[in-house]
Amino acid sequence: MRMPPLLSRTALAAATCAALAFAPLHSHAQGGVMNLLNSLGGSGSGGGLLGAVVGGGAQTNQGDDLFSLLSRSVENIDEPKEIEIGRQLAAVLLGSKPLHPDMALQRYVNQLGRWISLQSERPGLPWTFIVLDDTGYNAFAAPGGYVFVTKGLVDRCADEAELAGILAHEITHVTAKHHLHAMRKTAQSGVFTQLVASQIKTNALGNLVASQFLALGRNLYARGLDQTDEFHSDRNGVALAARAGFDPYGLVAVLQQLRTATPDNPMFTLALATHPPAQARLDQLEQAMGKRLDGYAGAAPVTVAQRLGGGSRKK
Amino acid sequence: MPTWLHQGALTAALACCLLAAPAQAQQDAAVIKRATELRQGPAESSASLGALAADTAVTRTSERKGSWVKVRTAQGATGWVHMFDVGAQAGTAAAGSNTATSGLRSLGGLFGGGSSTTATATVGIRGLSAEDIANAQPNPAAVQQAEKLRVSADQAQRFASAAALRKQNVEPLPEPPRPTAPAGSGEFTPDNQSFN
Repeated sequence: MRMPPLLSRTALAAATCAALAFAPLHSHAQGGVMNLLNSLGGSGSGGGLLGAVVGGGAQTNQGDDLFSLLSRSVENIDEPKEIEIGRQLAAVLLGSKPLHPDMALQRYVNQLGRWISLQSERPGLPWTFIVLDDTGYNAFAAPGGYVFVTKGLVDRCADEAELAGILAHEITHVTAKHHLHAMRKTAQSGVFTQLVASQIKTNALGNLVASQFLALGRNLYARGLDQTDEFHSDRNGVALAARAGFDPYGLVAVLQQLRTATPDNPMFTLALATHPPAQARLDQLEQAMGKRLDGYAGAAPVTVAQRLGGGSRKK
Repeated sequence: MPTWLHQGALTAALACCLLAAPAQAQQDAAVIKRATELRQGPAESSASLGALAADTAVTRTSERKGSWVKVRTAQGATGWVHMFDVGAQAGTAAAGSNTATSGLRSLGGLFGGGSSTTATATVGIRGLSAEDIANAQPNPAAVQQAEKLRVSADQAQRFASAAALRKQNVEPLPEPPRPTAPAGSGEFTPDNQSFN
């Protein structure tokens, strides 16, 4: 299963060939090749994709630098690089859906999430919590401390403990670097060749656009993480939410609700397609939790609306 | 821009959302997973109101207290059972609830086969999809805007103390054996690597 570095270079070379072979099919054939090279090479220096293949090239664009970093190992990604990778992925997610305009809600989710993150293994990251303006039900994370929830998800949380459980799950994806590992795995696999080729398309100006890093990021969020990573984040998320003073059964309640969501319900399509079945997650959590956290479960619930309205806990 | 997202439909969905939000008292069909007791209160030590056999059908209310949920039996008795002793009723998920309201708070889709109305109003409304992500062009300006909304550790501490949230010592949970046959989802997976 392990890909020697040599192979991934070959794969990249193949991707380049595929990319170049693809170009003349377009109407702007001649300009197309040049534009492709330019867009791949950032400032037109011949870096980028080619740079990554030949292992050099001055002034490669940043995304492709990050890509070549990811195609080696996760261990050599320091924290500033990790945050930069996260920012680029956050830009992709915010390119698919905008920030929700309710600033009071954004602030609340930042306070809640930041408090939970303080109990995590990496309290010092520049944690950023973002509510996406989307009626669907989903949550995402990106390396370096970026955590996203959709407005639809917030609306469907029965109480703050449920939202806390979801944020704690996402925070765990960050602290455990699940996305970095997943991207490295894809970058080093043969699949990546097809991935880049399939993503080469023309933009509004008719230019051919491709970025390996962008391709990796899109693939990651459309596909989801490893099942083991999800189980790990559920388990750790439950404990993390409890450490922050929340009812640890918030996440369990969320999963019990998700269990009955229909796979063909378009609100849940992506969330269901990118995660193990809710029943499997509940079974794993039940085995891990038993009744050992029942003593922490007594806090009176408060709803998100109550919190936003300045209300206190229900007595 | 997704053309199927009609402005009118969106407005209608939001209106439904506002109306539906307080209606939390939904009743969901559920089933008792293993033999247990119906308790008067949300605790193991609370008095038993009677035995519940495995596979007993119950109605789950929206009331939850920690690990306990309030249920009602077919005979009309109301009491509490542990969340891990309650399962979804087979077929609930398939019950037609794919409507405007079903995706929204308190309704069928998420909270299990509630009573649902017709599906007409919401055709074309859906959440963030794989295509949205595949077509996304990066928006770094929005990231900068979001970063301005970060709160400091101090601000988070103040929020927590105002909310009476206190940190607790909690041991890490043990890792159970992995499920033997991972029932994969991954419809968008170009390969099966994600489940290695």
